[in-house]
Amino acid sequence: MIEVTGLSKYYGPIAAIEDVSFSVAQGEITGFLGPNAAGKTTTMRVLTGFSPPTRGTASVAGFDITKDPIEVKRRVGYMPESVPLYPEMLVAGFLEYVAEVKGVPRSHRKEEVGNVMERCGLTPVAKRLAGNLSKGYRQRLGLAQALIGNPPVLILDEPTVGLDPQQIIEIRRLIKSLAHEHTVLLSTHILPEVTMVCERVLIINRGRIVAQDRMENLAGGFKTLIEVEVEGPDDKIAAALKGVPGVQSVSREAEGRYLVEGPSNVDLGPPVAAAIIQANLRLRGLQKRSRTLEDIFIGVVSGEEGDQS
Amino acid sequence: MRNIWAVCKREFASFFVTPVGYVVVGIFAAVTGIGFTASFLFYAKVSVNPSAFAYSNVPDFEETLLGPFLVFCGLLVMFIGPLVTMRLLAGERNRGTMELLLTHPLRDREIIFGKYLASLGMLIVMMAIVGVHLLIMAFYVNVEPSVLVFGLCAVFLMGAAFLSLGLFVSAMTNNQITAGSLTFGLSLVLYVIGTLGESLPKKNPAPEAWAAGLRNLAGTLYDFFRSLVQQLAFDGHAKEMTQGVFRPEDVTYYLLITAFFLFLTFRALESRKWRA
Repeated sequence: MIEVTGLSKYYGPIAAIEDVSFSVAQGEITGFLGPNAAGKTTTMRVLTGFSPPTRGTASVAGFDITKDPIEVKRRVGYMPESVPLYPEMLVAGFLEYVAEVKGVPRSHRKEEVGNVMERCGLTPVAKRLAGNLSKGYRQRLGLAQALIGNPPVLILDEPTVGLDPQQIIEIRRLIKSLAHEHTVLLSTHILPEVTMVCERVLIINRGRIVAQDRMENLAGGFKTLIEVEVEGPDDKIAAALKGVPGVQSVSREAEGRYLVEGPSNVDLGPPVAAAIIQANLRLRGLQKRSRTLEDIFIGVVSGEEGDQS
Repeated sequence: MRNIWAVCKREFASFFVTPVGYVVVGIFAAVTGIGFTASFLFYAKVSVNPSAFAYSNVPDFEETLLGPFLVFCGLLVMFIGPLVTMRLLAGERNRGTMELLLTHPLRDREIIFGKYLASLGMLIVMMAIVGVHLLIMAFYVNVEPSVLVFGLCAVFLMGAAFLSLGLFVSAMTNNQITAGSLTFGLSLVLYVIGTLGESLPKKNPAPEAWAAGLRNLAGTLYDFFRSLVQQLAFDGHAKEMTQGVFRPEDVTYYLLITAFFLFLTFRALESRKWRA
């Protein structure tokens, strides 16, 4: 549904994105992660036709953004990061304008607007001026505006930023409900959100794609980590830990503290404890930790861990 | 096509949901009202006693009252137009809604013509106000209706040209205030240049001491410069039409200026996309 090949965008001599290539299949929800200024918004702006690319191609729903921009724009619902609205318009009026511009036939317009408002929880503020909306409602209006006309592709730039926890849950539920009917590309800083909502993840850093995979495969998948505090000679501890079946790696964090890595579906806690006791070492503490997307993200972005799957 | 109307509707409605529309129409009504009343009263006094005002006869109505009044209305659009045009494209950038405008399936021409039509809508409202004054005039004075119609057309064409200039400047800037001030400044220059045009002497300014060939060249260039300055004056071509004289060159002048600035607006919008 979205095909990007070798996309680059330069502002003068500075490359905002460089040689970006990825694809998003129909009906997938893909998370687009990256630190600030990594190039997420730039990529989205190129995909939606707001900025032209310097090099490379991008096609959405089979149409090339530089050759057939109008066809692409008809099929994309875009929610920009700044959630722009016309503050002097009523919520319903604004959505009717968007419906008109997106080509919703006049006879269906009111119905479509009503449906989208219902879906996004905007019905209570339908007659309020867009400029008088609270942050939560503003975000919802931005999302509603993207949903008008039921476009096959949705590109959402940080849809949950600034919302309170309850609102975040609602928006996430809404986005998840969009899967399969729509192809969604959403960018966010909030990593748990990606874990919860997305099937695939793209990680971008300094203008380049550094990771691109399904959630479960990403950088070797999520592992379980066991932190053990043991008293005893280092070599003995290392040997005991390495001997436990299923252990993928053992690393020494500090004096008496070791990190044991294993696959996420195996509970290494009891075997590790047993191994230490059997080796006549003193077990002072044992703690399980999951390797979250955050660890992977920081690792990939800072390039410290050379993680491969 | 439908999209031009959608953009136009939205823009025009916003003129009357924010103070802009009311300020523009209000000021225009007040100033034209005062101008109309004052000049009408003055003309009344003069026509009763022409010699007291150094006129040998009762002065010609179209020439002394109708013409100047309508030209004045047209120039008033120059002052007020920027208030209308400054938000058209610069306002979108200011508010960040340019990102919406350019990612919706709207073609450039739909955006530009839609917004221009909305500003013309405001112009038509202002024309209606002038129309009221003209109707009052027609009630008291024997004027051929065609004169009044041409007069209104003159104001409309002048206004349309100023508005197209305003739209272009709005497309070039990011800030509404900059757009407004620049539009106003440029319009003022184009108006004042008329006074210069009248004062420029016909005589070739090249000194006698120069060789004949050089003098001729200088003469041609100067003539060109002089006629350019005279032609550029915005109100120059309205003078005849406001008195009911239809000259195709006057109409063409304003239409050309409008077309020129609209063309530039297209280029400006296009170039903005490549830069941002």
